[in-house]
Amino acid sequence: MEIVVCIKPVPEAETRLRPTADGTRADPDGVKFVLAGYDESSVEQALLLKEAVPASKVHAVAVGPAPRSEEVLRAAIALGCDSATWVDATADTADDGLSAARALAPALAGLPHDLVLAGKQAGDRESGVFAAALGELLGVPDFGFVTDLRWEPAAARFTFRRATEGGVERWESPVPCVIALQQAWNDPRTAKLPMILKSRKAPIAKVAAAPAAGPSIPVKFELPPPRSGAKMIEYKTPEEAAQTLVRLLKEEAKVFP
Amino acid sequence: MPDFSLTPEQESLRDLARKFARTEMAPHAQECDRTPRFPEEIYRKAYDLGLMNLNVPTEFGGSGLSLLDQCLIVEELAYGCAGMTTSIIANCLALEPIILGGSSEQKQRFLTPFCQEYHLASFALTEPTGGSDAGAIRTRARKDGDGYVLDGEKCFITNAPHASLYAVFATTDPAAKHRGISAFVVPRSAPGVTPGKDEEKMGHRASSTSTVRFDGVRVPAADRLGAEGEGFSVAMRTLDQTRTPIGALATGIAQAALDHAARYALKRQSFGKPIAEHQAIQIKLANMAQSVHAARLLTWHAAWTIDRGAKGSLESSIAKCFASDASFQVADEAIQTFGGYGYMKEYPVEKLLRDAKLTQIYEGANEIQRTVIARELLRGYA
Ligand SMILES: Cc1cc2nc3c(=O)[nH]c(=O)nc-3n(C[C@H](O)[C@H](O)[C@H](O)COP(=O)(O)OP(=O)(O)OC[C@H]3O[C@@H](n4cnc5c(N)ncnc54)[C@H](O)[C@@H]3O)c2cc1C
Repeated sequence: MEIVVCIKPVPEAETRLRPTADGTRADPDGVKFVLAGYDESSVEQALLLKEAVPASKVHAVAVGPAPRSEEVLRAAIALGCDSATWVDATADTADDGLSAARALAPALAGLPHDLVLAGKQAGDRESGVFAAALGELLGVPDFGFVTDLRWEPAAARFTFRRATEGGVERWESPVPCVIALQQAWNDPRTAKLPMILKSRKAPIAKVAAAPAAGPSIPVKFELPPPRSGAKMIEYKTPEEAAQTLVRLLKEEAKVFP
Repeated sequence: MPDFSLTPEQESLRDLARKFARTEMAPHAQECDRTPRFPEEIYRKAYDLGLMNLNVPTEFGGSGLSLLDQCLIVEELAYGCAGMTTSIIANCLALEPIILGGSSEQKQRFLTPFCQEYHLASFALTEPTGGSDAGAIRTRARKDGDGYVLDGEKCFITNAPHASLYAVFATTDPAAKHRGISAFVVPRSAPGVTPGKDEEKMGHRASSTSTVRFDGVRVPAADRLGAEGEGFSVAMRTLDQTRTPIGALATGIAQAALDHAARYALKRQSFGKPIAEHQAIQIKLANMAQSVHAARLLTWHAAWTIDRGAKGSLESSIAKCFASDASFQVADEAIQTFGGYGYMKEYPVEKLLRDAKLTQIYEGANEIQRTVIARELLRGYA
């Protein structure tokens, strides 16, 4: 089985983002971009399928600027992906799910794929558009919020579940299809040191992105306002503290009438 | 000019060690310290991820990392738990004599199994009657047919109760002092090898330390490393390699102490403001930060020097000595920053002081490091 897993470099979890000088976007300078969260889960899923289905290959792809795209692809190879393709595109193209799907779709035409995996949303933008857009552009079925993905060799179909508001759905899909995974229903592995060393030497195929059809233009990036201080209640007895708290909840916070 | 930026490869190695230290080691550090407990399951995980035997050359299945790469990893591990780190890197110390002194047949025979399966090894030099004066060891190796018979006792040997292999230093001729010493590889299974019981230690309590007795242990000549009488040189060249990572280990402890102190200082209030706004605490933190930074750079410099093929005795002694003293001072100041809470076992900083202390003692006590530094230094003036 040929599996393509799409990954997006996102700022490391502890990163403190700052606006650029012109205030339009988060400044990437000095930010460490990593393979994280949803994408770690989808790489893990790809590798689990590879281990379950004989003679499978996992191909990692990323859309975006160097060197962050190369770094996450090497991280994917260190985890066990067999090969990697980097679609060279601007940060704006890569940031916007629809534009990223448009940049990637032509590259996928040249890559054999029975399954295209992605996280349900990118760890930074969280718009959740990419996988659905990619499915539409490729003209194949696409599904979001997927868990418990399996391959049924006899039927030559994937089976999986989708958790919805009302209950759990069970689905089947023919190949090829695009699947966006619910996060963290598997336990992503850690790359081993020898694999990290090996991944540094692995070749990464580079393709130029198709001319972007006008990505969305970021206008302003602001940090969330600092949280205002907590109010400490002065009291002599616990009863007094409770009375003051109830009064404040009613009169100031207006939590109840 | 040297370049202080790390390569992407070095950053990935450091990230791996950091993640392992923070998710697998640190959560168990307090429990292993208090019980005390030798967390073999953590050491096995470290092995599985390739974080052990960092110095074994690739031709024998190891990752053959440069000393600088090793230091980056060791600092991160020590940030999670210094005691566990001592046990994790003890294999590097025990296998280095084979890497430096072994024939290719011996390397193949002894090193390869360590890269195929989890095993621990110990470096057995120190004896009850002396560690610093390594030329005066008393463990005897008597010639016997095509081999030797070993008799004697080693002490303070890291991982000894759990090791399957020992690098043992013994003398064939006590009168010849250091020129009488030879290095041997002795399997735990050899009749007459008896590790003692775990010592009760001040720090590094997740590590295991004990005596090992050798009573009439037969060792074939094929298991002697190098020529007869070359053992002292093998031991000293081994320590020239492994001293620098001890500087990195000490730096990891110091960085942890600084991080704890700075976070606490921003939260803890006195006289109506966070203690971080009192200048006395700011000066403390500033001094701690200088020490950590200097310790790290000296360690990197020593590793860089040795990676370029130089012996680096002076540089590695400076790095180990400075970083371990800095580590002890920074841990001390972290406790002071925490005030009374710093003295409580419920808080993490008192452990750091106990752990830092060992780095001033083992792999050559700091008095000995200073002797080496002064000797190398004065040579330039004589
Ligand atoms: C937890 C732990 C783990 C260890 N692991 C190992 C191991 O795996 N393998 C191993 O072989 N050893 C190991 N050691 C032993 C360690 O390397 C020795 O303790 C160290 O070298 C000091 O030797 P000593 O304890 O015999 O002290 P001594 O040599 O008796 O020294 C006592 C004091 O005198 C000072 N001193 C000695 N000679 C001089 C001098 N010429 N000038 C000035 N001062 C001097 C020393 O610096 C020290 O302060 C370990 C020790 C500990 C505590």
